[in-house]
Amino acid sequence: LGILFFFVFFLAPQNISILSTNMKHILTWSPVIIQGETVRYSVEFQGEYERFFFFFFWIPISECSLIFFSFFFITEDISATVFFFLFFLADLGARRSDFFFFFFFFNRNTTSLTSPIFFFFFFGYHLLVELEDMGPAFQFRVLYWKKGQERRVSVTLGFWVIREVSSVVHLFFFVFFFEYCVKAQSYVEAINRSSSFSQTQCCL
Amino acid sequence: TAGNKILHFGACRVSMSMTEIRAGFTAIKANIQARDPIRTLSILSYPHSLHKVNSSDRCCITHHLFNFYVDKVFKHCKTEDSYVNRKISSIANSFLSIKRKLGQCHEKNQCMCGQESTEKFKQILANYEGLNVTSAAMKSLGELDILLDWME
Repeated sequence: LGILFFFVFFLAPQNISILSTNMKHILTWSPVIIQGETVRYSVEFQGEYERFFFFFFWIPISECSLIFFSFFFITEDISATVFFFLFFLADLGARRSDFFFFFFFFNRNTTSLTSPIFFFFFFGYHLLVELEDMGPAFQFRVLYWKKGQERRVSVTLGFWVIREVSSVVHLFFFVFFFEYCVKAQSYVEAINRSSSFSQTQCCL
Repeated sequence: TAGNKILHFGACRVSMSMTEIRAGFTAIKANIQARDPIRTLSILSYPHSLHKVNSSDRCCITHHLFNFYVDKVFKHCKTEDSYVNRKISSIANSFLSIKRKLGQCHEKNQCMCGQESTEKFKQILANYEGLNVTSAAMKSLGELDILLDWME
């Protein structure tokens, strides 16, 4: 078993991590490089459902089977707010190690959220804001006020924008000769978390 | 909202990624329904549709149904197709997450069960147990849109 263990450990991928930003998750690792040999990896996953209700069933990811490269978009498979478990199988040339190498778990509620990019502009008497499309899971909170009246920013002035119809949102009818300021934050209901507010933008 | 649905049952409020669940189901619906040869029976709709449920009973019926799918359905729907299995896993784990939230409401007595919801769920279980496990599970999974439509 010692030789087998050495064989197993020897091929273990290094630096496994999931880079998760704005609900998009990329699995990355550093493959082992062996002179004159080819190491290919396959990844399988299970969620808490498979772990607790489905006899530990491991689900292969067809696009991530016997691959040379060392990253993979795993967003579609990790689409519930539970823990997911991943493991790697390694193939050295024609030999397959059937042992799992590395046990790694992840929950999407740890994703990092960035504040939205936005532009705001005047159109006639209207103050409009155009928001970045961050995907269907996102809502936004937009706050706006007359410059110099920061303390008068009340929640009523701000509102959760539901990005369904268009990326341009009408805020309100503005009064000429005043400078207005706007800032925005993104919010994901599925994980009940929001980003920090963006930089404030002011415009006359 | 775009991606999420908030289920309001009085004080019980449960957020549900409806877009993700529907997208997952739509991707495999034809495949799953093709595996269900018994077209004359329904698990969720026989003899009465879910749409005739009192609002006071909605939370309890929803809680029962999520428990039903997590405990009795998904685990019997393993297929030879890895893509279908991945989509079922995505739906099953979303249901597990929602089942837990509904369970919390139930523990706070925010999801009480009346006579009607208990009777209606017994009927659904009877429909399920009237078939062999795999057929019943596949049919139930194939009827997921009936549940999603009712919830929306």
